[in-house]
Amino acid sequence: MRTELDPVRLSVLASRFDGIARKMSNTLLRTGRSGVLNRAKDFSCCIVTAGGELLVTGESLPIHVLSGPDLMARSMMAFHPRLNRGDAFLHNSPYHGCSHAADLSILVPVVDAQGIHRMTVVAKAHQADIGNSQPTTYMGDAVDLYHEGALIFPAVAVQRDHADIEDIIRMCEMRIRVPEQWRGDYLATLGAARIGEQAILELASEVGWEELERFTAAWFDYSERRMRAAVAALPAGAATACSTHDPLPGTPDEGVPIRASISIDPADEQIIVDLTDNPDCMPCGLNLSEACARTAALIGVFNSLDPTIPKNAGSCRRVEVRLRENCIAGIPRHPASCSAATTNISDRVANATQSAFAAIADGIGMAEVGAVTAPSDGVISGWDRRTGRAFVNQVFLGSTGGAATAAQDAWLTVSHVGNGGVSFIDGVELDELYHPILIHERELVVDTEGAGSRAGAPSLRVIFGPTLDPIDVAYVADGHHNPARGVRGGLGGGPSDQHVRRVDGSHERLPACAQVRLEPGDLIVSIGAGGGGYGPPVERDMQAVAEAVLAGLVSRERARAVYHVVVTENGLDKPATGALRAGVRTELAQHVLAGARNAPDR
Amino acid sequence: MRLATDTGGTFTDLAVETADGLVSIFKAPTVPEDPVQGVLDALQLAADAGGETLDDFLGRASVFIHGTTHALNAVVEGQTARTALLVTQGHRDILLLREGGRADPFDHRQAYPVPYVPRHLTFGVPERILHDGSIHLPLDESAVRDTIDGLRKLEIEAVAVSLLWSIANPAHELRIAQLLDAGLPGVPYTLGHRLNPTPREYRRANAAAINAALRPLMSRYMAGLTGRLRDHGFSGRVLVLTSGGGLLDAADVAGEPVRILNSGPSVAPVAGRHYASVAGAESAIIADTGGTTYDVSLVREGRIPVTQEMWLGTPLNSHLLGLPTVDIRSIGAGGGSIASVDAAGLLRVGPQSAGARPGPACYGRGGSRATVTDAAVVLGFLDPESFLGGRLRLDAGAAEQAIMRDVGDPLRLDPVEAAAAILKVTTENMVQAIEDIVLAQGLDAGRAVLVGGGGAAGLNSVYIARRLGIRRLLFPETGATLSAAGALLSDLKADYGGSVFASTRDMDWATVNALVSRLAAQCRDFEAGPGEGAVSSEIRFVAEARYENQVWCIDVPFDAVGFPDPAAIERFRTAFHAAHKALFTIEDPRSEVEIVAVRATVACRMSARGQFRMTEYPTSAAIGIRQVSFPGYGTVAASVLQTDRLPFDKWHEGPAILETPFTSIVIDPAARFVRHGSGNIEVAP
Repeated sequence: MRTELDPVRLSVLASRFDGIARKMSNTLLRTGRSGVLNRAKDFSCCIVTAGGELLVTGESLPIHVLSGPDLMARSMMAFHPRLNRGDAFLHNSPYHGCSHAADLSILVPVVDAQGIHRMTVVAKAHQADIGNSQPTTYMGDAVDLYHEGALIFPAVAVQRDHADIEDIIRMCEMRIRVPEQWRGDYLATLGAARIGEQAILELASEVGWEELERFTAAWFDYSERRMRAAVAALPAGAATACSTHDPLPGTPDEGVPIRASISIDPADEQIIVDLTDNPDCMPCGLNLSEACARTAALIGVFNSLDPTIPKNAGSCRRVEVRLRENCIAGIPRHPASCSAATTNISDRVANATQSAFAAIADGIGMAEVGAVTAPSDGVISGWDRRTGRAFVNQVFLGSTGGAATAAQDAWLTVSHVGNGGVSFIDGVELDELYHPILIHERELVVDTEGAGSRAGAPSLRVIFGPTLDPIDVAYVADGHHNPARGVRGGLGGGPSDQHVRRVDGSHERLPACAQVRLEPGDLIVSIGAGGGGYGPPVERDMQAVAEAVLAGLVSRERARAVYHVVVTENGLDKPATGALRAGVRTELAQHVLAGARNAPDR
Repeated sequence: MRLATDTGGTFTDLAVETADGLVSIFKAPTVPEDPVQGVLDALQLAADAGGETLDDFLGRASVFIHGTTHALNAVVEGQTARTALLVTQGHRDILLLREGGRADPFDHRQAYPVPYVPRHLTFGVPERILHDGSIHLPLDESAVRDTIDGLRKLEIEAVAVSLLWSIANPAHELRIAQLLDAGLPGVPYTLGHRLNPTPREYRRANAAAINAALRPLMSRYMAGLTGRLRDHGFSGRVLVLTSGGGLLDAADVAGEPVRILNSGPSVAPVAGRHYASVAGAESAIIADTGGTTYDVSLVREGRIPVTQEMWLGTPLNSHLLGLPTVDIRSIGAGGGSIASVDAAGLLRVGPQSAGARPGPACYGRGGSRATVTDAAVVLGFLDPESFLGGRLRLDAGAAEQAIMRDVGDPLRLDPVEAAAAILKVTTENMVQAIEDIVLAQGLDAGRAVLVGGGGAAGLNSVYIARRLGIRRLLFPETGATLSAAGALLSDLKADYGGSVFASTRDMDWATVNALVSRLAAQCRDFEAGPGEGAVSSEIRFVAEARYENQVWCIDVPFDAVGFPDPAAIERFRTAFHAAHKALFTIEDPRSEVEIVAVRATVACRMSARGQFRMTEYPTSAAIGIRQVSFPGYGTVAASVLQTDRLPFDKWHEGPAILETPFTSIVIDPAARFVRHGSGNIEVAP
């Protein structure tokens, strides 16, 4: 028997495994029911080896997969030493490898004809509801798991011999709001996992399990070689960056500072991200699961590297993420609530990591992405007189937040750093058709972009309210006190904010974490966070600044004051800009000498 | 006599069908700066072949069908009119926000797609209509007049108007149209609700914007095309291929040019359907392989699936229109695809292509990188002496040298192994493209025939078919010009649609039935208008439907009678479950079904279908023997056969290479093949 893989097989089988993950994703996307699943694409499909190593992530939501599916598969194997074909397991326990309770996952062990467990397919989908004590899946103010109230499934069998274990289904239907929608999502997720299982079985019958094992080993080695080369090309250095989450109920008044210390060792081809110097778990829903803590750090790392490096256990061998137990950005201790683990603190971890990269050298890393979750992406619930039924759903009216890199301006609609922009944004018409709401406005806000030689995204303002009956809007919005920061002289993005305009004409600012009742005629004004810029604004292409002025996204005053670009009603004034910028360059050089550029600032 | 041309990036193809039903094909180089000249050059070739003048030749033709990438090129290159977009106030960033989404969340080198109409030319109009058509905020006409005054000062050349819920109540768009007529006379405009009545405001606004922007240019182009044909004695009807796989009169296309963005490739499956049907197959996968791209489309149970998600560039990283378009998936793979091995040892083929210039290393035109064509030369699949009927002599030494340098040496393979590796990887890439569309459209690949078209289809289609478990592979006679052939087989076609919301949960379907009646009337008007004199005509209805709370709809056909009684609604519900199961392998019989939109398509066949056989082309090359390296079999002697000299209906065993003036078909030792009486080659892989 050959021990080495034919190099052609490496290409062909890599492509086939990608195809399998894509097939799973497409199925889940098209058949899911809740908005969070099929509009926001808040799901992921991946394949894990029998050894519990992540093989293929497919077109997944970043915060879902870089670590977690591996941990979940291992917990499934630990709890169920005997795995049979036809089994399927529900998993959403943040204490056993899942990201957070809302990310209900289905794990299907791929078992060969001899009964040997060969691989595990994982399909994970964010639910519209998971039985929490309040109708939201991001319960930032949950003091612990019991207050949060989510149903928790630590790798619980839900199918044997391809048939549902009805007890489990009934439990879910009794506890999860809008059970028909949940059941639809369950069927879609299970369908995706079964399609993946079937495709792997077919592939194995064609090439043999031994060949697939040779492939996985070779693919991990290839991915590691790519990662080694990428790290070897980075400058050596170490840096610590801090990104602070706004205060919420259960956190200190000054908020939650999150520190990431990174070191790059090109000689040893290794990156270390240390998250141990962070606060203990807190009595709120912001604590990270281990999966999210690891993944968020890895997102910050991969945001700084060649995007074509495969993301799997092989490439991750070159990254060590240091975590500690009972840490808000580490390994949670039951019953600490991890309700909002995929967004708030995770985003701070990723932002701190990528800003630390940027602090080490020009040309690498990334500015901070804007924080979430504004009311425009909140969970709405109420009663719809058109159908005579209750509804609860997360809407995705949009958030921008994209951060700049050295190479490019921000991608506008990133949503948050853990999402990377893969989410869809709801259409106004479809949202009004499906929910009893009216969306009055959805526009970018002038002068909120993260200025820089490469610019971050401007903020998005969304104004919406109920039509004929009251609705509740729940959200956990970070980024008001601590907007996304720029790096290497780039400035920060606009802060988030939220208000309510009551039908009686009164106006009030809303807290960062709330469930707000809106009566007919009331409007909620949601302002999402902008993203940070990279590099000094005075080095930005003056034509790009003039275009932003023409588009109404940057005021002439800001163009002059921040970018040192003079725009008149006739457009760009090149001579005046040249003169203005010449003066600045001297000043800037002095700043560089003083090391000011290395300090992220707003 | 009917004529069909398809202007591609490199060649302008012409297919001529004479009254006796025989077809002949011609290729002339495309003239990018004057595409109509390329068309006239191809027509001249056909005239010369018959010893006629161009004017005499064109004088005999009754129909001229044109496929063109002119509109798409103009959009991609931004060479269109200065266009303004009017939207509902508060929603000025519709085009900028798109529907979100991104192809790769880690690829920060990709720039965010710019909106087709820039923000400073997008204007909010005070007005608001709700989803039920009621007016929440009346149109502020004086504000509209002020905006129009501003447009005049900005020297706007075209205007798009696309308001929220204009599909539920078009009153405000229609009033703005009157104000534009008065305030900007002569400036073309497009109304969103008329062009694309979908309940997705971004797609509707984007389609309207691009349509308006194309109108001045495409009006000129259509007038120029028609005029120049008339100048050369043509007095028949000028028709244009649409993205929906049908034909429209050139004058109508000038008003809705956005409908022809994918003109050309859209009718490859029309040809594929014909040839599959001649071979007795209802379902087919049509793969058109050129030098740079591999286009895959389908025929499912005799129907060509359409999509409303055709992207204008990279999926998710560009823009889409939401107009019904023949579903075609393209990947960067073909004869010119470049093979390389990265520093960590992974072999990749494509998506970069050497194209026709500089071309593969073996072309000797300055290209030095190893390509799929070079691999085919090293394996003996292509004969350096007889490539393209001997019109281009290939340099086998250069091919081998490039393959060893780029692939063989880095992977420690010999030339034949390296060439086989390149072929295998490109085959897998093509298979993945087929699997994507097959999955999306719920086709059982194992029960379909694979139809190979395009110049490079013959190189590896046997391997593609085998990998997919496809038992029948067809190479049509007109395979080298599949779209031009498809054009001759296409019908006059129009799509109408409307938005409606109904659930099987409540039985009041009067609004749906009213919409169905309205669409049916529109279809009948088309039959009586452009379709007058058709030999046959067909009207089909589909509902865009979903399970409760799903977002993505699937198309489910229903009868022209609509939904007169509960039994009809129940039948529809059952049909939906079946369609959902066929597409996604699961169904939820407990769930109610909701309809979001209804579409109707009217297709009028304008001439009776003849035998549609190729005129036999003269041949010179004799049958011979060539040493060919087939992966898995080593180097063996293979017969080289001239396709049109093969006897009909006799099965042959591989190995063999079948030559035509446009392509070579590789039959490996495990495969068998036959030439049918229809002139098509069938291969059993």
